[in-house]
Amino acid sequence: MTDVLLVARSHLLTALRERVTLFWFLVFPVFLLVVLSLVFGRIGEDGGITFDVAFVSFDRTAGGFSDAIEQVVDDLATPAEAGAKPLLSLRRPGSDEDLAEFLGAAMVDVRRGRLAAIVAVPAGFDQSVRARLSPTAAPEDVPLTLYVGSGNAASGMAASILEQVFAGVDRAILARVGRFDESAIVPHRTTWVGSDERETRYVDFLLPGIILMGFFTNGLFGIPGSILFSRDQRVLRRYWVTPLSVPRYLAGLSVGHLTLCVLQYAILYVVGRFALGASVSFAALDTALYLVLAAATFMAFGFLIASLVRTATAGMAVANILNMPMMFLSGLFFPITGLPAFLTAIVYANPVSYLADGLRASVGVESGVFSPILVVVVPLGWIVVSAAVAAWRLRWDVGR
Amino acid sequence: MNARSTADSALMRVTDLTKHYGDVRAVDGISFAVPNASVFTLLGPNGAGKTTTLEMLEGIREPDSGEIEIFGRRLRRIDRPTKQRIGVLLQEGNFEPYLRAREVIALFASFFRTARPVDDILERVALADKARAFVKNLSGGQKQRLAIGAALVNEPDLVFLDEPTTGLDPQARRNVWSVVSDLRATGVALILTTHYMEEAEALSDHVCIMDHGKLIAEGSPRELTAELGQETLVEFSADAAGDDDLGPLDACCKGIRSDAGLVTVETTDLVTTMEALLAWSRERAIPLANMTVRQPNLEDVFLSLTGRRLRE
Repeated sequence: MTDVLLVARSHLLTALRERVTLFWFLVFPVFLLVVLSLVFGRIGEDGGITFDVAFVSFDRTAGGFSDAIEQVVDDLATPAEAGAKPLLSLRRPGSDEDLAEFLGAAMVDVRRGRLAAIVAVPAGFDQSVRARLSPTAAPEDVPLTLYVGSGNAASGMAASILEQVFAGVDRAILARVGRFDESAIVPHRTTWVGSDERETRYVDFLLPGIILMGFFTNGLFGIPGSILFSRDQRVLRRYWVTPLSVPRYLAGLSVGHLTLCVLQYAILYVVGRFALGASVSFAALDTALYLVLAAATFMAFGFLIASLVRTATAGMAVANILNMPMMFLSGLFFPITGLPAFLTAIVYANPVSYLADGLRASVGVESGVFSPILVVVVPLGWIVVSAAVAAWRLRWDVGR
Repeated sequence: MNARSTADSALMRVTDLTKHYGDVRAVDGISFAVPNASVFTLLGPNGAGKTTTLEMLEGIREPDSGEIEIFGRRLRRIDRPTKQRIGVLLQEGNFEPYLRAREVIALFASFFRTARPVDDILERVALADKARAFVKNLSGGQKQRLAIGAALVNEPDLVFLDEPTTGLDPQARRNVWSVVSDLRATGVALILTTHYMEEAEALSDHVCIMDHGKLIAEGSPRELTAELGQETLVEFSADAAGDDDLGPLDACCKGIRSDAGLVTVETTDLVTTMEALLAWSRERAIPLANMTVRQPNLEDVFLSLTGRRLRE
């Protein structure tokens, strides 16, 4: 028994002591989890993100609709409660600043991505709105203008939020003057589908994906790297002149590999749960078993690669080629809906897709795309096929 | 061949062992017996089949034909119970670069039913002060001593050392030699391969000279050199001397050869030969630079058997 445990320990120590492996197996997944959840996770959350917006009014009419718009924008720039972040951070012209110059400078900043948007109230805006409300006067169109930067995600989001806000303002005005019947609106409401009838936060969607990514790269690179390097460098050959058998070596390698996966999982879980506020739990027995299935599938996949190439260099090249498409066409990081047909075909052939879906379903984040039987059977199938190919093809020594 | 004479006390006996790679007969029907408590050496040039022979005896390769009898059991291929009792230093064997020396020894100790304490092993191969060093940071000689340590963890009855000093600097080579001498003193039987004549002479009790997959001579170093007769060799450097120059010397000696400026004269009558040489030198104005007089060694044995040198 000690031989299996010491082979496991050797595998683990080697992985943890080598800086390159340590980076890809532990540092990189944590980094990706933190970065993706910080960049995408805050969007849409209350008080989570603040847009830099400039406001300028060319309309001097006091107490009218121009002031009402300014009031709405001001409200959006005020925190909803003490300590929360406001939606907008406003930039306004100074009292003696030339408004046209201010607008010109703000537009440069929008183009450069320093401002998300500009809300400009044109001269004569108040008058124009009043004219529209009067049944007799022919309205002269002087529109409220929203300047947004093209190709800037923050700009696009700020624009759609502000457009919704102004549409609401518009409806309120029309309702007040009796031109808009609120009861005539088609009734609608939004319900979050999924467990607990709540919105899935991005970090809850992401965390299972990153954990799987960790297991995936670990199996894809770690297993062929370890076996092929040791074989090519005559490390394994040194074992075969002792009573150590291939099955016992394999048992040790597997124990070491799965221990590394547990370590990876523990670190990602702690970071996700306590630093990023994820609320998913992996504590249920079926979830824990499913994590083991996932780690075992990717490990088997590593054996498959090791069986099909001649050298460690070739193994790493194959792993690199498979890495990106298998990771990104699987729904690990982003939902996989609306992809072109040929990409969808890859998604359906990719074992990572089933494991990602099965794990999320198991922690209750998302109702499964695949059936609960498929998400177990397909990975098991990969394990059986990989094990069979490895038993048939994998060479344990050079030149034999 | 005098394998019969040592057969009774033999730890291992090999009969008609053969291994082919395609048309190449790497090992071509060799037979020998390894006596107890001695150093048994396979000496031969690179490509002679020494390593292939050892790999069959270590269980890495299966012979095409022939029989191995080891520890009183006849085997086609070395099995696990046999591996419990042997220690192996591979010619090309490595350890995980990110393991520490003591972790390597502990790992190998775990493969065997019985093993010596890790510190004993490190002490024995003079690596106690490197116990915590990573394999990748050890020098070539230290790595080789660690490998010998790994071959000794199970207190083997028979140790295989395949080219233990190839690629080492002279100091590291001497360290390995002293480890081998110490081992031999403890009564362990060793099988050594080498293409260094000095190594075979310094360490071996029994030498088999191997060439082109066959054993061509066998005996103790002293017996093998004695087969050349009561010869003495006179050597000197003479870059300027051509075959024409050497011609007149034929009469005064048993044999003469010139190789890369080094002239070797074989003689059974040293006085006559020396007188003739001195006269020849004065007459032709060819100085007898770096002249030495010595007894034949294993290199000369190999040369007389094959017409080639060990290291070419």
